[in-house]
Amino acid sequence: MFRFYLWELEKLFFLKPVRIGLVAAFLLPVIWSLAPGLERVYGLVLVSGWQVPALSLLAGMEFLFPFLVAMVAAEVLGAEVTMGTLKPVLLRPISRTRLVVVKLAAALSFPYLLLFASLLGALFAGAFHGFGGFYGGTGLGAGGFAGVGYLTPGAAFAEILRAYLLAGATLFPIAALAVFYAALFLSTTASALATLATVLLMRMLVVFPALVPLLLTRYLDLYLRPEAAGPGLLLLFIYTLGFGALAVLVFERKDV
Amino acid sequence: MPALLAKNLGKRYGRRWVLTRVDFAVEPGEVYALAGPNGSGKTTIIRLVTGLAFPSAGEVRLLGENVHEAGWRARRHLGAVVEAPAAFYPHLTGRQNLERMAWMSGLKDPTARIREVLHRLELLAVADQRVGSYSLGQRQRLGIAAAILARPRVLVLDEPTSGLDPDGIQKVHELLAEEAGRGVAVLVSTHHLREISAYANRVGILSGGRLVDEVELRPDRPRYRLLVADPERAAALLKTVPGLTGVKLRGEEVLFEGEPEQAVFALAQAGIAVRELTRDHFDLYAYYRERVSGV
Repeated sequence: MFRFYLWELEKLFFLKPVRIGLVAAFLLPVIWSLAPGLERVYGLVLVSGWQVPALSLLAGMEFLFPFLVAMVAAEVLGAEVTMGTLKPVLLRPISRTRLVVVKLAAALSFPYLLLFASLLGALFAGAFHGFGGFYGGTGLGAGGFAGVGYLTPGAAFAEILRAYLLAGATLFPIAALAVFYAALFLSTTASALATLATVLLMRMLVVFPALVPLLLTRYLDLYLRPEAAGPGLLLLFIYTLGFGALAVLVFERKDV
Repeated sequence: MPALLAKNLGKRYGRRWVLTRVDFAVEPGEVYALAGPNGSGKTTIIRLVTGLAFPSAGEVRLLGENVHEAGWRARRHLGAVVEAPAAFYPHLTGRQNLERMAWMSGLKDPTARIREVLHRLELLAVADQRVGSYSLGQRQRLGIAAAILARPRVLVLDEPTSGLDPDGIQKVHELLAEEAGRGVAVLVSTHHLREISAYANRVGILSGGRLVDEVELRPDRPRYRLLVADPERAAALLKTVPGLTGVKLRGEEVLFEGEPEQAVFALAQAGIAVRELTRDHFDLYAYYRERVSGV
């Protein structure tokens, strides 16, 4: 199973959207850290390299990262359909469930690959501001960018790491949803669009207050609210598992 | 037990049936060809028997196991090419693609076997080039190499000679005949009726999603054609000769299967003059056109 997963990861790196996504995630913090309108938009004057990763998350998690995750997760199955390689794989003595589970695992790995590229870009851009201790905040902990006093490099890094781990988890259900749609439509474009449409629709459902705690979009900013991590992560896990199970069920009897 | 059995097979998309009540069986060592015009249901049958698509009616059994219920277990003995040209990962070489296939098929120590199939399909020279750079014909041959890689007991091929040059077509026909000779059941969809009639055992003729005819070709039993002075008397006589079978009249000609010397000797003894004796090649193409246009 692990070898199968590694092979799926290998295939992932040959997908164009993956390469484009990783480059975009790397460049985003570099460009943002040089942006002249930072003070006007975020009220921020960068005083430390530890503040750049937050910029990357704030900008990326709004739309770019969920979009890239939806696109790539849909492509994990959709690319095989486009290339015609899905049929030869399904002709081998491999169960469909196993195939979808492995593809789901590869799709779920992508959010962290994306965030890792983003973090690398942020650290690269942050190097120009230095990584020493500073008075202020990372933008990802108490007090936002203003902070609550002096922040040591270790504490800053811990805040950033926690935020990135939480951000990755919030992207899991989007990846799983895209894999489900890919199993349903066997098309990258249709699945990515359906995923984004579902996420946007969920965002609009805030007009039904009773539903709000159950919407996965409610937790896309979990990296800024670590105190809500408990129930948030549980719900995101249930969504991920549910979409994954649906993908398996749909694909098990799907004509290819 | 047939190696491949399709029972009352049907497929429906929405309300439209694209395939109805298809029954056929392929025995071990037999080559069964599916022929029919475009859209007659050949590819649908191929997708159904390989488990890629699910039937709306009926069932498919591969070595006794239901392909759609037993899932991957039923595909242990299956080798197939379901698309022309066969699809591969373009960033990998031909050999690397086969290595992945061998691994998925559970082949232990596949290096020698991969080399063997590459050699058989004359692909050794390009084995270490990326598949993205292969010609259409090379990809198609690699597809057939992948299909026979795990020594399947049932081989299913959709238009395996599509995109091949005449040498390649000949090579594929030879290979299929060899595989059948080893006891492999071969199901092949094709438009090359004249070539396939040289070695196929049976041909199923499809039209409008139905199997309208099944022709037994028996390439192991050649048929002969006689031109004689009195065809009706000659036919009646030959029917009584032991060892001669399938005696029938076709216009002024008498057709039979068996030893030609035996037939000529019997006719000479009865005083019936033989004007001509030739091998009668069954024109599958002409027959196919007649059957399809008649539906």
